[in-house]
Amino acid sequence: MRSPKSRYLLLSVCALVMAACGPRTESGAQQAGKKTIRFIGKPTSGGGWKVLIEEFEAKNPDIDIEVVEGPSDTTAREDLYTTAFLSGKTPYDLIYMDVAWVAKFSATGWLRPLDDLFSLDRQKEFLPGDVMGSRFEGKTYRVPLHSDAGMLYYRKDLLASVKETAPRTWDDLLRIAKKLQKPPQLLGYVFQGKQYEGLSCNFYEFVWGAGGSLQGPDGKLTVNSPAAVEALGFLSSLPKEHAIAPVGVTTYQEEEARHLFQEGRAVFMRNWPYAWVLMQKEGSPVKGKIGIIPMVHKQGAKSGATLGGWGFGIATAARYPQEAWRFVDFITSAVSQKRLNQTEGFIPTRKALFKDPDMLKANPYYPDLYEILLVAKPRPQSPKYTEISNILQARISAVLVGQASPQAALDEAQRKIEQVLAR
Amino acid sequence: MKRNVRSNKYWLDNLRAKHDWLFLLPAIVLTTAIFFLPALQSLVSGFFSINLALSGERAFVGVANFIRIASDERLFEALWNTVRFAAFSVPIEVVLGLGIAMLLSERFPGRGVARAFILVPWALPTAIMAMAWRWIFNDQYGVFGGLLMRAGLVETAPAWLAMPGTAMAAAVLADAWKTTPFAAVILLAGLTSIPQELYEAAALDGAGAWKRFKLITLPLLRPYLGVVLLFRLIHSFGIFDLIWVLTSGGPAGTTRTLALHVYETLFRYLDLGYGSALTVFMAVCLIPLAGVATWVGKSPVAQAK
Repeated sequence: MRSPKSRYLLLSVCALVMAACGPRTESGAQQAGKKTIRFIGKPTSGGGWKVLIEEFEAKNPDIDIEVVEGPSDTTAREDLYTTAFLSGKTPYDLIYMDVAWVAKFSATGWLRPLDDLFSLDRQKEFLPGDVMGSRFEGKTYRVPLHSDAGMLYYRKDLLASVKETAPRTWDDLLRIAKKLQKPPQLLGYVFQGKQYEGLSCNFYEFVWGAGGSLQGPDGKLTVNSPAAVEALGFLSSLPKEHAIAPVGVTTYQEEEARHLFQEGRAVFMRNWPYAWVLMQKEGSPVKGKIGIIPMVHKQGAKSGATLGGWGFGIATAARYPQEAWRFVDFITSAVSQKRLNQTEGFIPTRKALFKDPDMLKANPYYPDLYEILLVAKPRPQSPKYTEISNILQARISAVLVGQASPQAALDEAQRKIEQVLAR
Repeated sequence: MKRNVRSNKYWLDNLRAKHDWLFLLPAIVLTTAIFFLPALQSLVSGFFSINLALSGERAFVGVANFIRIASDERLFEALWNTVRFAAFSVPIEVVLGLGIAMLLSERFPGRGVARAFILVPWALPTAIMAMAWRWIFNDQYGVFGGLLMRAGLVETAPAWLAMPGTAMAAAVLADAWKTTPFAAVILLAGLTSIPQELYEAAALDGAGAWKRFKLITLPLLRPYLGVVLLFRLIHSFGIFDLIWVLTSGGPAGTTRTLALHVYETLFRYLDLGYGSALTVFMAVCLIPLAGVATWVGKSPVAQAK
């Protein structure tokens, strides 16, 4: 009796394999003749996305927008898109993307240039930094949805208690932090010191704040200029000589820093704008006690801010590029941006919204923020940026943990980066 | 009906006798499809330049990628980190695993429950466990530092993951916690296979506990130790998930392992040609390790022959 049984078994295995190799079962929406447009989003917080998408779908009954909820870690989402693209057929027509991915995703040919749809006239309505960061080799690949820039958060109440105003320079930061801090209960300054992309962003802001630059007009990358060495010296002195940051800051990402600041355990924090909305929520211990200003700079130089920000690109392999564009057009409109500002705290990318009375009423700090966004600079734009930044992160981290001097570390980074660029 | 069954059986037996390879076919097809072909493709890709972040064009470059390995500083940093990780984690896991296995092979009330519970860390997904360790070692909220403070050993909790030496130690500890049970279970199976009479005879001859362990347990356990070593060496050499979640290779790149270097080269720098060459390099690195494990695993009985 064994043989027929095993034959059935073999048959059923074959059937299973064939079923698995066969065409995928279409989802209900597609059967109804809808065009499904998919992208990977952040874990939703405010629920505003959902309402807007439903509104769009009601107006465009032929389109079904599907948001795949991705992890909150930016790098993880970048890798999800990457693996999808590497497989050849991407399931994502739209790419909800960080400004830092633009060069890489454009150079690979994964993104469709949008210049025919997103005209120069329309681009003028957006913040210049966000538009600049959406370009690669003269073409535009992204429509900015919400802006982002590194900034300094401070405790208004604590500063007022010692009759200080918001710091402007590096020396101000050191002086006020030392005056107020009582570690470990109250830390002077928290930032992103872990070896990851955030560390590079923190470093760039000090380089710009020291009057330096990373990319010359010819596009040449220099990370070991005297200003950069000085900036790294200052950054590494924060947890060391000056001890205004905890030793453990070399393990912090955005959230570790925010938790401490939000619990009232830090005087200053470097972070992105998302933290503002969370810290002003009901029940937050620092609600109404915080302010934001552009990152402190060296005496005589100007503030620098690393440009972040998210927008939409359309995949070259998109099945429905026209439909995808209709959604991009809808979601980046002034009306949608205003709504996402209310629900998600997204900072608009349209200049006009910073003068909008409703927006200003809801966000009285926007004039300050606008100032920061105008000075925000993109990170070095290169398809090899990921590798360049990885090299930098490890060397900056080495200085922070006392394994190398700023000069030696940046010289080594420069040498390794040049090797990468020469390949 | 009966006749049918018999003829069926005859047909199958006949097939089995004449064309036994047919029965191996599914296994051969499967291993070829999911193992040999991808491995071959990696090897072939190693001879091409394929960088999607540049042109993406595929160009034959001969052994250039393999020559580049020799001058890849970051690779050798990663190799050194990996060797350190394996050199600490594997011996700890095997020795602790052996101790636990010997304990669990003794008869005591609740042994069955203890044997089941010892496996819990092994059953947890590494990424989740690594996330938990990240919090345990957190400088501000970490349980580990908190316990030391409560015991009065330190004044402020150390930032374990912030310093090169302790970050690696934390990674080794997390790995040992998870995989010692694996070593214990395999070695426990080995211990139960050793005939009890040998111990009784040795005891009659006056051999003490240490002598019995050295002359009976250890030699007869060698095949099992070999298996454990093989699995642990290969796994620790390719460690990725734990490190990725715990430290992402920091601080100062001191926990950046080979697998992280390969992953970043392939998926983040999109340098597919060189990344493939790196996977080949990694596989070659494993050969001497497999040799060590095989040598350990040689049963003394077989050697005597």
